Amino acid sequence: MPDLSTSLRAVVKKVARAGRIDARTVGEIVKDVQRALLQADVNVELVMRLSSKIRERALKEKPPAGASPREHVIKIIYETLVEIIGKGANVPLKEQKILMVGLHGCGKTTTVAKLARFFQRKGMKPAVICADTYRPGAYDQLKQLCEQIGVPCYGEEKAPLKIVKNGLKTLKGDVIIVDTAGRHALEKDLIKEMKSIDTLLKPDQKILVLDAAIGQVAGIQARAFNDAIGVTGVILTKMDGTAKGGGALSAVAETGAPIAFMGTGETLEDLERFDPDGFISRLLGMGDIKSLIERAEEGLVEGELDVEAVLKGRFTLEDMYKQLEAIGKLGPLKQVMQMVPLGMEVPEDAYEVTKDKLKKYKVIMDSMTDEELKTPRIIGSSRIKRIALGSGVSTEDVRELLKYHKMMQTAMKGFRGGKFPMRKLMKMFKI
Amino acid sequence: MFDVLRRKVSAFKSETKTLILERELDEKSLEKPLQTFELSLIESDVAVPVAESIISSVKAELLGTKMGRRANIDEVLESALRKAMIKALSVDEFDFDEYIKKAKKPVNIIFVGVNGTGKTTTIAKVAQRLKKQGYSVVIASADTYRAGATEQIDVHAERLNLKVIKHQPGADPAAVVYDGVQYAGARHKDVVLADTAGRMHTNVNLMEELKKISRVTNPDLVIFVDEAIAGNDAVERAKKFNETMSISGSILTKVDVDAKGGATISIAHTTGKPILFLGTGQEYDDLTKFQPDWLVDRLLGDEHARP
Repeated sequence: MPDLSTSLRAVVKKVARAGRIDARTVGEIVKDVQRALLQADVNVELVMRLSSKIRERALKEKPPAGASPREHVIKIIYETLVEIIGKGANVPLKEQKILMVGLHGCGKTTTVAKLARFFQRKGMKPAVICADTYRPGAYDQLKQLCEQIGVPCYGEEKAPLKIVKNGLKTLKGDVIIVDTAGRHALEKDLIKEMKSIDTLLKPDQKILVLDAAIGQVAGIQARAFNDAIGVTGVILTKMDGTAKGGGALSAVAETGAPIAFMGTGETLEDLERFDPDGFISRLLGMGDIKSLIERAEEGLVEGELDVEAVLKGRFTLEDMYKQLEAIGKLGPLKQVMQMVPLGMEVPEDAYEVTKDKLKKYKVIMDSMTDEELKTPRIIGSSRIKRIALGSGVSTEDVRELLKYHKMMQTAMKGFRGGKFPMRKLMKMFKI
Repeated sequence: MFDVLRRKVSAFKSETKTLILERELDEKSLEKPLQTFELSLIESDVAVPVAESIISSVKAELLGTKMGRRANIDEVLESALRKAMIKALSVDEFDFDEYIKKAKKPVNIIFVGVNGTGKTTTIAKVAQRLKKQGYSVVIASADTYRAGATEQIDVHAERLNLKVIKHQPGADPAAVVYDGVQYAGARHKDVVLADTAGRMHTNVNLMEELKKISRVTNPDLVIFVDEAIAGNDAVERAKKFNETMSISGSILTKVDVDAKGGATISIAHTTGKPILFLGTGQEYDDLTKFQPDWLVDRLLGDEHARP
């Protein structure tokens, strides 16, 4: 089954191919957009509202000078989607109290620790209170996670309110993060308890943690949390899976609270600031060049991934090395690939390369000369032997790496050429 | 729980009803009501492709139907919808209780799923159920990764008075399950319930780890635990877990969260494996045997259907 990016990419391709924009074409495009959004778990009513908006604008508005009608429709789809998710929240680096709430199993506790780690890395002094006295092992979990990063953590066996009170007295830190038990809208007592914690703590931020995989129930639940305490921000978890987070988008539409962060992996470092433009362009398959460049820059000490060159179809071992280096920041390979512009079809095999393998590849490439990195085809069997010796791997490993590079190179070539005015479009979106 | 869908289904029924009185059911007359029905399924969290497949079978069933004056229209429609949904739930007959009764002891049951779906709580509930039926139960705490996982199991085990087999954090989960089975064999225990760490189905290494647990301990049942509040992604992960472990059946949790529960149909349809139980609350007894008819009854408008 095609995922959202694939299906939206198909939409974008369809628009690109459409000869002219008339009611029928627009109708078809809108239908495809609807399907794609529904498959991403965006609220059904919201999808209907959005699609009629897209239809209306696409038929009425005249494309600005320099843009063709079809480019214009793409831009409308893009803008409409950006409109739902808002600007994304900027969590300030100041003294503050943060209350974390959400449904059962959405990843609150892990996210609390990740958030503490985030503030710690920014030079702040976070401290954590565990007010979840319901789930067995909740305090142990949070305590263990906090020990990993050396953040103080306060907890007791009973009475969440008392815990918060005592925690505030005991803990020293400039950012206090309070973890609460999982609860849902129908659990009246727990919603009441959450309200009392809110009143007592007077938090600066009230963050609703949402699982990327949540379905149509997201909007209703988000509204209940919002009605109870007034949510100020959303953190979207489990974004390293295949879920698209459409439920979270619906929650944002419901509460108006922007998405602040995304959880993208199992370690405490795997928390990323939410970038709405990037998120949408990934959904659209437009290639999130902007964030690719930004984050690649962040991840690379020297040199940049030469996106221009890659776009031209040149993809050397050096490029691949930079790409692998940036991968820690960019997340799973599949996601990285989704950030690269449409039209590129990467074979599924390429995704199956594990993190350990990527690490090995980097070591192997460290044993190559600049010339070899720039012009991989000069690598013959005697060079392979030398590289293998130098990096302490077998010659098979080196050959495997070369094979992998070839596969990636072929994939990259896939989106060179083509009729689609990629560059112009990117300019239009200021990417 | 299925309010919206129920309303829509009744709307569909009446919409089609008027059409049927007028003429034979053809593509054109069915298009709109079927579209409405499809959206309702999606609104209930049935994954888009699964909803489409249900719709196409309803359509196939209804196309060309000629209605005699005295034929009961409601019955015709309801049976087409019911048939399609039961088909989507594609239940092969599997009775969990019956299986445990007949199986050679100890029965090794492994629970798998993505993070936070409620595996550990579900294991406690299943343990309670088995205990009530007179079986002796051992828990293997093979989630050696997540902080607090073993502590969580320990508390449940203490409350339910069960033995827990555990290793150090970071230990090989396959070894923990193996030890659990060995222990159960030596002490003549009936059932081993193995808790595994939640894992993203996209994480190749962790999915390989599951295969290893399977190879080393040769489980009798592999149970996939997912949540009823999940949307379209339920299909993706059910597929991946089934491919990796060949699951025996699924348990859907968090049914009490006001969810529409369409994920149940998505998962059954995708895996072709039965839904065994539903998790319906925070108490140990909140585990209900799944009845396909119950779900379909609710979808078709029986207000009083209870899980």
